[in-house]
Amino acid sequence: MRHFWKKSLGVAATALLLGTTALSAKTLVYCSEGSPENFTPALNTTGTSLDAARPVYSQLVQFERGSTNVIPDLAEKWDVSADGKEILFHLRKGVKFHSGVGGFTPTRDFNADDVLFSFNRQWMPDHPYAKVSGGKYDYFNDMDMPTLLDKIEKVDDLTVKMTLKEPNAPIMANLAMDFATIHSAEYAAFLDKAGKKEQLDQVPVGTGPFQFVTYQKDAVLRFKAFDKYYAGKAKIDDLVYAITPDPTARLAKLRAGECHVAVSPRPADLAEIGKDPALDLKSQPGLNIAYLAFNTQKKPFDDKKVRQAISMGIDQAAIIKDVYLGAGQAAKNLMPPTIWGYNDKVEGYKFDPAKAAAMLKEAGVTGPLDVDLWWMPVQRPYNPNAKKIAEMMQADLAKLGLNAKLVSYEWGEYRKRLQNGEHMLGQLGWTGDNGDPDNFFFLLGCAAARPGGQNLAKWCNKDFDDRMIKARASFDVKERTKLYEEMQVIQHEEAPVFTIAHSVVYEPTRKEVVDWKISPLGRHEFYGVDLK
Amino acid sequence: MIKYFFNRVLLTLPTFVALMFVTFAAIRLVPGDPVEVRTGEHGITPERLAFFRHELGLDQPVWKQFFDYVWALLHGDFGTSVVTSTSVVKEFFTLFPATLELSFFAMIIAIGIGVPAGAIAAVKRGSFYDQALMGISLVGYSMPIFWWGLLLIMFVAEGLHLTPVSGRVDLIRFFYEPVTGFMTIDALLSDQKGAFWDAVHHLILPSFVLGTVPLAVVARMTRSSMLEVLSEDYVRTARAKGLSEFRVIGIHALRNALIPVVTVIGLQVGTLLAGAVLTETIFSWPGVGHWLIESLSRRDYPALQGGIMLISMMVIVVNVIIDVLYGVINPRIRHG
Repeated sequence: MRHFWKKSLGVAATALLLGTTALSAKTLVYCSEGSPENFTPALNTTGTSLDAARPVYSQLVQFERGSTNVIPDLAEKWDVSADGKEILFHLRKGVKFHSGVGGFTPTRDFNADDVLFSFNRQWMPDHPYAKVSGGKYDYFNDMDMPTLLDKIEKVDDLTVKMTLKEPNAPIMANLAMDFATIHSAEYAAFLDKAGKKEQLDQVPVGTGPFQFVTYQKDAVLRFKAFDKYYAGKAKIDDLVYAITPDPTARLAKLRAGECHVAVSPRPADLAEIGKDPALDLKSQPGLNIAYLAFNTQKKPFDDKKVRQAISMGIDQAAIIKDVYLGAGQAAKNLMPPTIWGYNDKVEGYKFDPAKAAAMLKEAGVTGPLDVDLWWMPVQRPYNPNAKKIAEMMQADLAKLGLNAKLVSYEWGEYRKRLQNGEHMLGQLGWTGDNGDPDNFFFLLGCAAARPGGQNLAKWCNKDFDDRMIKARASFDVKERTKLYEEMQVIQHEEAPVFTIAHSVVYEPTRKEVVDWKISPLGRHEFYGVDLK
Repeated sequence: MIKYFFNRVLLTLPTFVALMFVTFAAIRLVPGDPVEVRTGEHGITPERLAFFRHELGLDQPVWKQFFDYVWALLHGDFGTSVVTSTSVVKEFFTLFPATLELSFFAMIIAIGIGVPAGAIAAVKRGSFYDQALMGISLVGYSMPIFWWGLLLIMFVAEGLHLTPVSGRVDLIRFFYEPVTGFMTIDALLSDQKGAFWDAVHHLILPSFVLGTVPLAVVARMTRSSMLEVLSEDYVRTARAKGLSEFRVIGIHALRNALIPVVTVIGLQVGTLLAGAVLTETIFSWPGVGHWLIESLSRRDYPALQGGIMLISMMVIVVNVIIDVLYGVINPRIRHG
């Protein structure tokens, strides 16, 4: 009998313990929009794939959650040499890699070998992992890393020296990007030995706040909090990505409590989300810009008065209202206000057709003038309908005596022709990569004004360009901020582009989600988020 | 019989050749190739563009690309996805059970409701029920699946909370690794209490949406076939023998009326696969339909070509089997 009671008590205690565990486990479900291509950020460019891998990994430096500020991550601190060409990274000691994922158990902590492995894979064509999984390191190349880097060396286990060909401050922001994720060199060697190199990109092992559990293609992605994460265990226990491609279904799942956070709501649903007492709706301008470039190599757009006049003659507010449907913010500078160095003192051109017509007259544009106005054939994050914008601009320009002919080509061809400067007025835009002002201003630099370059205004202004080069070489944020503010004044005065809008990003969450922060970089980050 | 079988198989060869050509050509008619689609505002240097085109064989003349593709197919190689670097066959068969499970449940709904509804309509010919049912089935047949699916999500799942919105299982309550890929079977194998019913619960709405068109077709076909049978002499004889109305209709009439209905059900396989593309997208169902749409938007040539070929091969094989079975059942066909 005594035995029976003992046993019963044991069962009850176990049940209680299990019950408590089940009740206390916090699972956050994120309704994502698609499936990742793989789990190596260096191989990917889509936000969906980068979001899917990010919980697992860390970089040398990271973006502070909810901002574009660069803060330490695996590198505790760094020293920059006086000439700005050498950066010495002091690595964090005792950082653990995830254990038991993909059959791998690490035998050592993170060290300099992992840093070298992660960069050399992308940089050295003869690296044993260079060609694995297609080997397209788009971001590494797009951010000009092969041009910037001279050497990356291991000084000792916890020190890495990066030598640059010329001083370049924006490289710190590059290193916080996902492509600069640090992989485990030991895991790579383990897979190489087992003849399963591809697994490195399919079953991720990192030092990040969440450990990979499973991925079922097009259905679900699961992580669990990594209890040995160097900055402390995440507040949620389990993180689940419910892959939900349809935006209406995503919202319905959010409302039904099947997920806690949903990505990219439809603009038409925003008003209703705002009214729902169970939901929170946060918004912020996206890290992008839609613009109309004046080809300053072609008459009459070589005259800044003409450019200023047209900037005044376009009804920007109407475009924001009718094309962006509330999900856009009128832009007055090339970069969005979420980036440091934004000059809020610059005043946008006020819509004034009468003044615009008078200025055109002053500039000698009197009779009707035929111009071409290009619109891209695709929807972009910064521009939901370039054709409609072109039609609205065409109507505005007609009032100024300009007959705009609308032109478009297949997307690849369109970009190529614009970059070659075949247009007079051309629409395009930019989505920022790393939250550094230089990542926007290079679009108006002299180097990019060459035929085939990304400066579509083909505008080269020495005052602007000198400041940009000076800011690029300085690691002093204060000095850089001042220079960028001055550049925005020059840009406004010279008007090489008419800045149309920054799209506004909306992110609905359920009310029980605590401390959700929208990232200006378009990321979705879960470390630090809690559930009530 | 053997000669008949080989004749049928030989007849599929031109279909395969045409299929290979159409899948290959149609994808290349869509602007943008896999390398260009990846490129955004950053652009791509001509050297990198040339390098990746070469890696994917896109720098070869189109005829050579076609023959390489056919050669690989003849060796059973369906290619590797340029997006995920995974074998197309592996990706396809990871996702196919989900499509099959959804289609199976959709068919159960179509038959389970369509056959009795059609039979009752025939028996009560001309009544309000008959007219209402035929009216509803016409609406069902003409219903745009995308719209219908979203409408049901809003009313049934979101409004009345009768079913989950989408997905295959409650992700917070249940977690088990797929064994067969069929969620209902995996739920049973997992031994997790309530998992099976939860999986069935998740199947209700998408199956109903996918089954709507076949349901309408089956109901209408059953009705017209029943009407024909009900006027046959043997039905009158059965009634004259004094059999109960249930036996006359349920056993004598319906069984005979179902023969053309079964043929129609076979033909609905194509409709189901086409419908699955939309249904899977709306209900976040991880099947091959949604995968093909994704592959199209990413211009993943090998995945698209391989996926379409695999689906088409299945449809062709099913048709050959049905043809051969007809021959077995009815000697007049194989000697005709």
